[in-house]
Amino acid sequence: MAGARFTLHRLAGLLVAGWLAGCAAMPTPSYQPSVDTTQLLLQRRDASMAAGSFSAASDVPNRTLAVRANQLSADGIDGTFSGYLRNALIIELKTAGRFDEDSPIRVDGTLLRNELNAGAGTGSATLEAHFTVTRRGARIYDKSLTVVHKWDSSFMGAIAIPAAVQNYVGAVQKLLQKFLTDPDFVRALGQRSAQSAQSALSSTRIRTGDPGNLVR
Amino acid sequence: MFFHSSRARTVRAAFLGLMACATLSGCITAKMYVDPALPKVGKTDMPVLPQPHPVQVLFEFQTKGNANSRATSEIEPRVIAVVSESGLFSKISTAADLEGAGILKIVINNVPLTDNAVAKGFGTGLTFGLTGSLVKDGYVCTATYTRDGKTTDVVLHHAIYTTIGNHAAPEGLTPMDPSSAVHLAMDQMTWNVLKQLGEKKVL
Repeated sequence: MAGARFTLHRLAGLLVAGWLAGCAAMPTPSYQPSVDTTQLLLQRRDASMAAGSFSAASDVPNRTLAVRANQLSADGIDGTFSGYLRNALIIELKTAGRFDEDSPIRVDGTLLRNELNAGAGTGSATLEAHFTVTRRGARIYDKSLTVVHKWDSSFMGAIAIPAAVQNYVGAVQKLLQKFLTDPDFVRALGQRSAQSAQSALSSTRIRTGDPGNLVR
Repeated sequence: MFFHSSRARTVRAAFLGLMACATLSGCITAKMYVDPALPKVGKTDMPVLPQPHPVQVLFEFQTKGNANSRATSEIEPRVIAVVSESGLFSKISTAADLEGAGILKIVINNVPLTDNAVAKGFGTGLTFGLTGSLVKDGYVCTATYTRDGKTTDVVLHHAIYTTIGNHAAPEGLTPMDPSSAVHLAMDQMTWNVLKQLGEKKVL
């Protein structure tokens, strides 16, 4: 009787262990910069930027995301997906030589949607973030952006779950690319650059006596 | 007596079952074969440049066109090592920290070339490897070099065959473990795109 109880306990323990292993939290893979975003930033030669604070709206899952019976855990410095997004922005900017933590231009963000779906046929990730860009405290950009990233999934968890985990990073890449290449963002950065260039040209004209008819 | 003989039979059946599983699972191991079509290229095939320039290398591994960050992390050091060994550039960096550097963007996209690969693998698993399967994975490598506003592209294709279970090897190819096969294919593609870029005299 005691032996049967012991066996039952052992069996229950094994079942719980197996069950928990199936539900283990998987860390979000290290962020890799998008080569296309880097190339675009390198070509544009924008000013350098700093990353400010990133947070998530109260109803947005910010520490774990369900991937079927598993959990994807945020792998940012602070263990949140908003922290992951901030770190990803820093990596993108650093790779393109556009990161400067002392820059007067600062990017802040709020995660508004954070969804991951490892469907049987198609997987999808929907991310939405509100980005605010300030220059010396003055707001020059203020916009929410959404991306829906899709990929081929499978009914087999062994294929669908790793694919979802990998593609979450791809969704973050797409969100950052959408932000960094947004015409309004480019214009906001460029206006100042144009103003700087204009004032530089004006001061040159004053020094040289050039009437400025070549500059428009 | 009945209890004892029944238990013995159960134990014997379980043991035989385990033995069969262990034996048959050996048949389900995957073997990989690198397609021989791509020329074997190495350092001696690289052009000697009178004045090599610095370069920033951007690398991305994709699966069906979507970025695969884990594979990028694994393959990127190999790509950088090949670029470095080629001797085509004076300095190499993955960051934008080199004055006057060209930009070498290498994207390797893994595309399946076999229909219903998952279903075939499932069938192989169901039959404990008796019904083997052969899967062909394609790789499209696109290298883009940009310097002084001029951009040059090179595209090439490569493939890896995988046999699972009881399936004959592709003729004349040597089986490799998965990691070695993937690394060899990635190295070969990098060497080949560098050679082609060198021949275009754009570096």
